[in-house]
Amino acid sequence: MAAAAATAATKGNGAGGGRVGAGEAAGTRKKKGPGPLATAYLVIYNVVMTAGWLVIAVGLVRAYLAKGSYHSLYYSIEKPLKFFQTGALLEILHCAIGIVPSSVVLTSFQVMSRVFLIWAVTHSVKEVQSEDSVLLFVIAWTITEIIRYSFYTFSLLNHLPYLIKWARYTLFIVLYPMGVSGELLTIYAALPFVRQAGLYSISLPNKYNFSFDYHAFLILVMISYIPIFPQLYFHMIHQRRKILSHTEEHKKFE
Amino acid sequence: MKHYEVEILDAKTREKLCFLDKVEPQATIAEIKNLFTKTHPQWYPARQSLRLDPKGKSLKDEDVLQKLPVGTTATLYFRDLGAQISWVTVFLTEYAGPLFIYLLFYFRVPFIYGHKYDFTSSRHTVVHLACTCHSLHYVKRLLETLFVHRFSHGTMPLRNIFKNCTYYWGFAAWMAYYINHPLYTPPTYGAQQVKLALAIFVICQLGNFSIHMALRDLRPAGSKTRKIPYPTKNPFTWLFLLVSCPNYTYEVGSWIGFAIMTQCLPVALFSLVGFTQMTIWAKGKHRSYLKEFRDYPPLRMPIIPFLL
Repeated sequence: MAAAAATAATKGNGAGGGRVGAGEAAGTRKKKGPGPLATAYLVIYNVVMTAGWLVIAVGLVRAYLAKGSYHSLYYSIEKPLKFFQTGALLEILHCAIGIVPSSVVLTSFQVMSRVFLIWAVTHSVKEVQSEDSVLLFVIAWTITEIIRYSFYTFSLLNHLPYLIKWARYTLFIVLYPMGVSGELLTIYAALPFVRQAGLYSISLPNKYNFSFDYHAFLILVMISYIPIFPQLYFHMIHQRRKILSHTEEHKKFE
Repeated sequence: MKHYEVEILDAKTREKLCFLDKVEPQATIAEIKNLFTKTHPQWYPARQSLRLDPKGKSLKDEDVLQKLPVGTTATLYFRDLGAQISWVTVFLTEYAGPLFIYLLFYFRVPFIYGHKYDFTSSRHTVVHLACTCHSLHYVKRLLETLFVHRFSHGTMPLRNIFKNCTYYWGFAAWMAYYINHPLYTPPTYGAQQVKLALAIFVICQLGNFSIHMALRDLRPAGSKTRKIPYPTKNPFTWLFLLVSCPNYTYEVGSWIGFAIMTQCLPVALFSLVGFTQMTIWAKGKHRSYLKEFRDYPPLRMPIIPFLL
């Protein structure tokens, strides 16, 4: 779901006023876009993020070649993964100050769910770090983010290659389910360890008359994927039809 | 007397939905809505939004046809607001829930706590006091809904009742669960803390009620007039000097009092969420006051004196 939300929810890191739905095709909307300073900043931000996720991708490949197996590759890319995924919190700020025309709520939801998985699940429950499900969502996120951030970079520079647009609106078909599976399996794997350690949980009696069961909370999170994931997935499918068919039309007249 | 013709088009599809001829120039939008309902009975007046521009603001029920910027053939655009439910119904439902639900926890009805606690009673005085305060608070709200409040709009969208009831009923259950729990821990500073908190709660409840009465008296029965509220002889209303929506200020104060009284984190969280929502409403109300009245007192803030 964190994988799904990443592509569906964000309208773009200030793609010069272009939005996920309208993009280059809509001629009727007013294109305000960020100012030149904000655009420069956003280009740098998106380039840095693209580079960061490329580092993670390369790190995965090198670790695989060195080890000869695809197990426990998480450890080789743990630091850049934490750094660049957490860095995405800035995107919430971008929406809040208005240099990116996306909803703060939607972006927050998307970024926080990623950050939650990285820190509150994978980092916090060490036993889960050697699971293959972690590799599943890391690969899904890596490919998605490399494409997404280059999409934004090129959009900001008003020079978006069709290939990138195609990739962004097509690869999700496989990457979403892949990412969601990885995420769910990882959370599921963490459950027994959370229960055993009473991780992040507080029980009665206590001074503030409050209790929290992290194990139950994680189960609720898993259940929430059921209504949320299909909505995001079908939204992207709908966007794909709109955006890719539109461009086909344009190409015909060129 | 020249009669008007009114055509009503769908705001989205521009389809011609209705044509009314021989409409009186002094006809109000409310009357036109009634005429429209005759040909489209599924769209009762409460769910009609009529406007001069498809993307513009809704016309008010009191607006008179003659006074609108239209020719003798007026074109109005219609938008379906969706199924509507009356404010009174929503308020009664959303307030009756917490009253009832809290009592289920207070009386330790079976299947909430362990079987050995069924129908037992807490040994802490503050727990009984909290139940009294919580229950009286919602009884007050129900009575105000029935006898005090004068609503500008009759209805709201139907989906609001589900959203609102989830919020009120959910939080009531969550708070009540901890306060009435067999393992509840009374406040750290004992009776002193409870007494102070009770005083805050009572004062703020009286304040909130005073403001509701003052607002009611601003508006004659059946009318929708809007006036600037001013302090009256009742000292509780003097908060109007500093704040546009003292009813919200007092309401937040009441819940802070209740949180201190019960020393229960869920209550504090409920107060915080309520405060956030009421601040949004207060800011909106404050903005409308400023827009509508040139002579609006400049010292006033929306909800917190001098600050917010």
